[in-house]
Amino acid sequence: MVRVLVYASSPAQLRGLAGLASSLGAAEAYAVTPGAPGEVEANAYSVFTRVYRVEAERLTPGQLAELLEGLYAEHQPDLVAGAAVKDCVDAGSRLAARHNLPMFTEAAGVELADGGLRVRRQVLGGRAVAVLESGLPAVVAVKPQLWEEKAPGEKGAEVVPLKPPAPVVEEEAWEPKRREAVDIESADVVVGVGRGFRRREDLAMAEELARLLGGVVGASRPIVADYGWLSEDRWIGISGKKIRPKLYIAIGISGAPQHMAAAMDSKIIVAVNKDKNAPIFQYADYGVVADLYQFLPVLVKKLREKLGA
Amino acid sequence: MALNIAVLAKASLDPNMIRTRSDGSVDTAATPLALSEYDKNAVEAAVQVKEKHGGRVVVVSALTWGPLARRRREFEQIVREALAMGADEAHVIVDEALVPGDPLATARAVAALLQKLGGFDLVLTGEASMDMISGQLGGRVAALLGVPFISYVRSLEVDAQGGTVRAVRDLEDGLQRVRAKLPLVVSVTGEANKPRIPTLLQIRRAMRKPVKQYSLADLGVDSVPKPRLADLRLIQVKRKNVIIEADSLEKAAEKLIEYLEQEGVLRR
Repeated sequence: MVRVLVYASSPAQLRGLAGLASSLGAAEAYAVTPGAPGEVEANAYSVFTRVYRVEAERLTPGQLAELLEGLYAEHQPDLVAGAAVKDCVDAGSRLAARHNLPMFTEAAGVELADGGLRVRRQVLGGRAVAVLESGLPAVVAVKPQLWEEKAPGEKGAEVVPLKPPAPVVEEEAWEPKRREAVDIESADVVVGVGRGFRRREDLAMAEELARLLGGVVGASRPIVADYGWLSEDRWIGISGKKIRPKLYIAIGISGAPQHMAAAMDSKIIVAVNKDKNAPIFQYADYGVVADLYQFLPVLVKKLREKLGA
Repeated sequence: MALNIAVLAKASLDPNMIRTRSDGSVDTAATPLALSEYDKNAVEAAVQVKEKHGGRVVVVSALTWGPLARRRREFEQIVREALAMGADEAHVIVDEALVPGDPLATARAVAALLQKLGGFDLVLTGEASMDMISGQLGGRVAALLGVPFISYVRSLEVDAQGGTVRAVRDLEDGLQRVRAKLPLVVSVTGEANKPRIPTLLQIRRAMRKPVKQYSLADLGVDSVPKPRLADLRLIQVKRKNVIIEADSLEKAAEKLIEYLEQEGVLRR
């Protein structure tokens, strides 16, 4: 029976962290997150003995680390688990260093085994999986979405306010990123666009295909990070979003491992690329070696006929 | 105002050159090493700061993939690559206890070396290594040194006179502009800059720059229990790999639609 301390950069992450605590059979679990009272209460899952609500909208990693120090000293957890987001990885690494703890970033699998921890995580740009074992205490960072289903729905944990410590590194400005309402992570059909597309306007063909199939458009890294044609919400990649649709159609995408690792849970993968040697064909169930500018309009036409749309 | 800058660089397994055994496990001893991608950005950032403000850039690296006897030359080549980009000297840690690597052990060794060398204003490193992608080294080293840490930096401005930095952090939801006083540790992203490609002359000059080697005993660091890398294997890709051949694009499209219907993934 372990004692767990979970930490988040926003209250919504607590659901997945509650799921992790629950699946580890935590005897006692504490949580800490910044956020407004209502938001935190809405995520005060009953698996938590207590939820510490830090009176701030957002915390710097340094502030989060300092709060973790205090809670670590007070509760002496066996496992510290944070959301696998940048600020939490940052804060966790500082805590881990101070107490000589092992830390596992983006652990997809977390199990208690033989009085210690066994963790599974992707490495080598999404090409390989590592299994690591350590003793306890330890720190892990997990993607909350992977554990949400395991969270028992009941809420009502005690919520205690905490004052944020004075920041050492100060925030001068915050510029939110352009966000869309699209959620490619839960879409059943995804049409991916890559560097085969020459202009932003040409993405319209892919959008039409997605519409016909009842899906959404996602993109490889260059389309998002280099060209900025689509927002980061649509980035399919290990540094972006993981998708698990029934159907993923990758168009003009070469098939870099970091991209394919994020699409590997797709039931069926279709690739359209004019280069017959493109790595993506290794990752595809069905491939069409053709120029997307010629094939896509034909595919759309045939689908319209078929679906009567 | 001259600055004393350190760059933490890793000789990572090259993800593009992975060697495997017949059972699919990664043969780490046979896989070549390369200077980790984002550490190149860190070296570039360090050299740019030196070019602007004066000072020196010291490369610090621990060899964390064995077998040590076979890796020494490869490791030195990688360290010289950073020197060729404009760093002035290198200090490297080679010790069996650090193989295979783990951020827990590596950070302790690196922090001890930085303290031994003393007086760094700025320590730079990549946001994460390209092989194990833990993203912990910068934060761990900062905590061990008792200095602030700014992670995921995509742009960095150093005010050497004022002894401060301003940085833009690239977070999931937005860009955060922060400021802090030197000394501190910074980790940079791949977007921070475009790492220069050394010229032949710079590569030759780098051969004469000093590289000093230390063991954990030299640094007064005892070994701590580190996690065990129990398994490391390639993700097997099992897909049908059917390439649709047809006389025309129309026929290819028809065939594809038929397959998708059979697979049950078309909505009607």
